[in-house]
Amino acid sequence: MTTGIVAWMKNNLFSSIPNTIATVFILAILANFIPGLLDWLFFSANWSGETQDDCVKDGACWVFIQAWSQQFFYGSYPTEEIWRINLCLGLLLSVVIGSNFVSKTIRTKIFVPLFLLLPFVSILILNGSWIGLEPVSTDYWGGFSLNIFLAAASIIVAFPLGFIWALGRRSTMPLAKSISVLLIEFFRGVPVLALFFMGSVMLPLFFTEGTNVDKLLRVWIVLTLFMAGYMAEVYRGGFNAIPQGQYEAADSLGLSYWQKTLLIILPQVLKVSMPNILATFVMLFKNTSFLMIIGIFEILSTTQAALSNSYWLGGHANEGYLFVAMLFWTVCFGMSVISSSIERKLNTEHRK
Amino acid sequence: MATKNLSEPVFYNNPGIRAVIYQILLVLGLGYFFYLIISNTITNMEARGIKSGFEFLGSTAGFDILMSLIPYDATHTYGKTFVVGLLNTILVSIIGIIFATIVGFIIGVAHFSHNWLIRKLAVIYIEIFRNIPLLLQIFFWYFAVLSTLPGARQSLSLGEAVFLNVRGLYLPNLVREDGSAVVIAAFIIGILASFIVKHWARKRQEKTGQQFPVFYTNIVLIIGLPVVTFFAMGMPFGLEYPVLRGFNYSGGITVIPELMALALSLTIYTGAFIGEAVRAGVQSVPHGQTEAARSIGMKEKQIMKLIIVPQAMRVIAPILNSEYQSLVKNSTLATAIGYPDLFTVFVGTTLNQTGQAIEIVFMTMAVYFVFNMIISVVMNLFNKKVALVSK
Repeated sequence: MTTGIVAWMKNNLFSSIPNTIATVFILAILANFIPGLLDWLFFSANWSGETQDDCVKDGACWVFIQAWSQQFFYGSYPTEEIWRINLCLGLLLSVVIGSNFVSKTIRTKIFVPLFLLLPFVSILILNGSWIGLEPVSTDYWGGFSLNIFLAAASIIVAFPLGFIWALGRRSTMPLAKSISVLLIEFFRGVPVLALFFMGSVMLPLFFTEGTNVDKLLRVWIVLTLFMAGYMAEVYRGGFNAIPQGQYEAADSLGLSYWQKTLLIILPQVLKVSMPNILATFVMLFKNTSFLMIIGIFEILSTTQAALSNSYWLGGHANEGYLFVAMLFWTVCFGMSVISSSIERKLNTEHRK
Repeated sequence: MATKNLSEPVFYNNPGIRAVIYQILLVLGLGYFFYLIISNTITNMEARGIKSGFEFLGSTAGFDILMSLIPYDATHTYGKTFVVGLLNTILVSIIGIIFATIVGFIIGVAHFSHNWLIRKLAVIYIEIFRNIPLLLQIFFWYFAVLSTLPGARQSLSLGEAVFLNVRGLYLPNLVREDGSAVVIAAFIIGILASFIVKHWARKRQEKTGQQFPVFYTNIVLIIGLPVVTFFAMGMPFGLEYPVLRGFNYSGGITVIPELMALALSLTIYTGAFIGEAVRAGVQSVPHGQTEAARSIGMKEKQIMKLIIVPQAMRVIAPILNSEYQSLVKNSTLATAIGYPDLFTVFVGTTLNQTGQAIEIVFMTMAVYFVFNMIISVVMNLFNKKVALVSK
């Protein structure tokens, strides 16, 4: 018998004595833990209610998450203005999805400028004071939406900036080259937390006296520069993967430096470095949680605040962390799935 | 008639001249940028009454540090706080690197197990832990796990030697007695001898083709030799066990919960990335290599050791380099739970007390640069060793 479930089990679970022991051992551990876990997560969990008093059963108190969900997603943004956050998220989503379904010409002519405009449009909408909406100070921005906005705004600016740095690194002009190398190595070599501290304690010293630069703006600048350093390194890998013949062919057609770079090289670089770009973005997205250390109300600091709230007895750490972990995990895992599907598409080499 | 050569380009179209012009513009722009920054900084610092310079390193710190590897108290200087923080950073980095490597290789190899359950568990481990922010994992271990442990009197214990409670982990300490130096010397001799044996065995194999059981010989040399001397010298090492006195344990080694949470999360998080690297490395070896090895009659164990691992290491080594570097950089997250690493102590407390933002931030950045460079140099040496040598 070589097929069927029994054969499969014989081959994959009980193929040898050590294997059988391992299987039994793992199954025993799983059988010990899984029922209790499931019970805590679902069966004995408290699903409905509004306050701590509704959490009467032994399991997880999901009421806690429910009660704080607006804070988790939108921070302290005024409730009647939340449509503005949703609008910006909608814009971001429609530009990202839209750019996948239009022809190449429209994508480069319309969607690339749209992408670059997006952070600024979002700031206009979210702040509101310049377009006649109720002004909302950045002190009230927060929650998971802030993580998303900061990550998206940083990568959108870092995309072209990192490319310029990467070009500078390949340049034959010695000065441009050394400045680019210095910038890239600096922003890659320093812990991102040190950069955040630099942004919050040193940047204010750099501006003329009396200029009060918004905290979130400083964070945006730091995240963008940090990301640009990593992106430049990703592009460098991409440049190395382009055959020399492509450059020579572009030169022999009489294309100028920028025509060659933007029309011939950039599209190919983007194509081969796409998986790495996504991996870098995942890293940036996870790193936005570090912002809680410098007092930005992103989701992790909202969670910490909720956990220490006296109305909730401060005892729902497991539920809170699990919920935040799930949010981050969904986004990051989703992106790594996309990345590996692109990789598979590009990889045509024969493997086992 | 002397005409100008028409193909001669206008001077501003000459690439060489252009490059010079661009670079002059770049320098001017950067010069202006730095001039602005520096002049602003000087004005701002004068306005706030901050003195620049490194004199503050010599003045008394006046604050205590939770954990220190060298003698330290509040009467020591700010310079000393830098050293204390630095050593704590090095400690957690080394613990993290060692355990993350072990976890990573186990997970990576488990990915190729014959057992379906082990394979799936390895995949689940990698996919869960590398997609959750490290800071969240640190918080989870610190606030949700370690701070809910029982108090000292209800400590979890392992054979009356290892105790775990909400105040930390208590391990027995190794105490040296007379004659212990001989055992240590025996250990060092064992290591040196094993290198000589390895070298000699390779020479002999190259000359005669005969193999020598290097692995077992060296195990005997490295472990057996010290053990024999240990008993010969009358067991000159003892263990000092932690003992419950009053409200807590004393004696032995104490690992504070901050260090545990940080080291644990760094290990688990980086271990997931290293596991993925090991998987990618092993998978990068073309299947033809295994088939070729089988067809010349090599055993599965030999194929792994002589064919797959050396080739996989070429892919793994550069990734290990960058993972170790990011582990050291990530150790700065200690500041979120108050483990006294360089960042918490120096950029946190010392900066708050002295206000010397520029000096302190630059000193700290310089330290991380040096760490990165050290890791890079070591890993590049390792990389060179495993890289493809064309003869």
